[in-house]
Amino acid sequence: MTGKREIHIQVPVLARVEGEASLSLHAHDGRIEKLALRIFEPPRLFEKFLEGRDYREVPDMVARICGICPVAYQMSAVHALESLFGLDPGPWVRAQRRVLYCGEWLQSHSLHIHLLAAPDFLGFTGVVGMAQKHPDAVRRGLHLQALGNDIIRLYGGRSVHPVGVRVGGFHHAPAAADVAALRTRLHAALPEAEALVAWTASLPLPADEQAFTCVALRHPDEYPMNTGRIVSDDGLDIGIDRFEQRFTERQEQGSTALYCYLDDQPYLVGPLARLNLNLDRLPAPVRQVLDATGIRFPSRNMFHSVVARAVEILLALHEAIRVLSDYALPDRAYADTTVSAGSAFGCTEAPRGLLWHRYDMGADGTVCSARIVPPTSQNQARIEADLHQSLQAYGLQHSDAALRLRAETVIRNYDPCISCATHFLDLRIERDA
Amino acid sequence: MSVAVRVLGVGSPFGDDRLGWVAVEALRRSPWLAVLPAGVLEVEACDRPGAALLSAWRDAQHVMLIDAVRSGAVPGTLFRLQGRDLSGAATFSTHDFGVAAALTLARSLGEDTSHILLLGIEADPAYRGDQLSPAVAAAMPLLLERVEHESRQWMMRS
Repeated sequence: MTGKREIHIQVPVLARVEGEASLSLHAHDGRIEKLALRIFEPPRLFEKFLEGRDYREVPDMVARICGICPVAYQMSAVHALESLFGLDPGPWVRAQRRVLYCGEWLQSHSLHIHLLAAPDFLGFTGVVGMAQKHPDAVRRGLHLQALGNDIIRLYGGRSVHPVGVRVGGFHHAPAAADVAALRTRLHAALPEAEALVAWTASLPLPADEQAFTCVALRHPDEYPMNTGRIVSDDGLDIGIDRFEQRFTERQEQGSTALYCYLDDQPYLVGPLARLNLNLDRLPAPVRQVLDATGIRFPSRNMFHSVVARAVEILLALHEAIRVLSDYALPDRAYADTTVSAGSAFGCTEAPRGLLWHRYDMGADGTVCSARIVPPTSQNQARIEADLHQSLQAYGLQHSDAALRLRAETVIRNYDPCISCATHFLDLRIERDA
Repeated sequence: MSVAVRVLGVGSPFGDDRLGWVAVEALRRSPWLAVLPAGVLEVEACDRPGAALLSAWRDAQHVMLIDAVRSGAVPGTLFRLQGRDLSGAATFSTHDFGVAAALTLARSLGEDTSHILLLGIEADPAYRGDQLSPAVAAAMPLLLERVEHESRQWMMRS
């Protein structure tokens, strides 16, 4: 009976997401008729700011797009520009960039699991309530987050908006003693990360299998971070320079973020998509911990994203330890650059998923135009599709409060970074005749 | 190894929210700090640290947070608040996870926050520049004096 009632749910400001967004839902006669995730944060126009700027300014400018994933923006940018300039920074730079990226995955994933997502699954309104009942889990999360920040600080000078990255490499190579001290701490944290994987798998996660397309980078022999081809579980396998031929962005009413589609269909990027597509790239000790959870991957339950994040935290620790175990100071921390004109493409795996950049560069090394496709705008259509399916599966007979909480849980599970996604402003003026 | 005093200037690049950073820059130039033995007092600028504050104030006997305050008081008003007296909202976005929220989280984890002191200046809500508002800039010397005074008292006790 109650399933047939008229339901209007408005969540004017979603809590525990990065940035500002709202949700409106209207159901009639037991069916969802209207559902919209509205991103109303003002557009940030970063692509326009980049126009006319020298290529050397790009890494520091794009780092400002996000306080949680600045490294991802820097990595996509430097890889794009180096690939256009025909610059190979060499194995040392490549290895240290992987460690830097591990730092960002560590801090971003730890933050999301503990401060944003887990309170939903354990029945708390926020981390403060959760901390009183699960203090050890929260402490462990904060410790792993701090370790990630310390890795970023080692290379970037500071953990928020780091400044150490440049086209060609790093401004400065970390001292061997600092690297050794950090490596010891990373090693000591392995049992915590293993326990975290088991803990996330033990959370009372809703069982909600859905059909969706996973998209991620794929590298010949490593779990993808900085390089690879763009692949999907539907057979997509393209070089990153062909992104625009298959992926299109468009604006939908009520959102300042663009929606991105693969062949006109929603798709998923991020930890679950990455893990589903790259299980065979996990180092053996990480795979063992994952298998011990009893959860079978590839998984079609979106809520297994929290487990995938924990697995990637463990992977990031293992990878950082592996790379840093034979750390040696290089003669120089960067390679020299010769600029050239043309289109530059970069695509790396931000904590939240694919982060694709394109720069059209002039012969003098200035940016003529830039295009940035962040993970959240790629997931936006998938989040709405998920909301439709999961709320219908959950049952519209539930109370408004329960439906609202489930909807928020679904959205937060994607770890949307609204501030990254708002690029676009469609100005509409309606005048009376 | 624990440091006797750690001063953390919390802020962002926006208007009066810079004041924690400006204070840290001024402290680094101050003569009284230059003559202290190493490892006694640390000064650090933090860019919207959020929950990371909980690790930033670890391993210190005394912690002084310097931050902009928004309470409705006259811009430029100086504040001296004990960590245990500050609390934040129960739910937050990570984009506005401030000092009060970090202190609340620390207490809910059972951590002692009695060694934490906040010195702040009421920001001018109407100011939109990339420096400090005149009211906050005028109060800065007094804040810096206060930081020195509190630090010296702590160091004598340590």
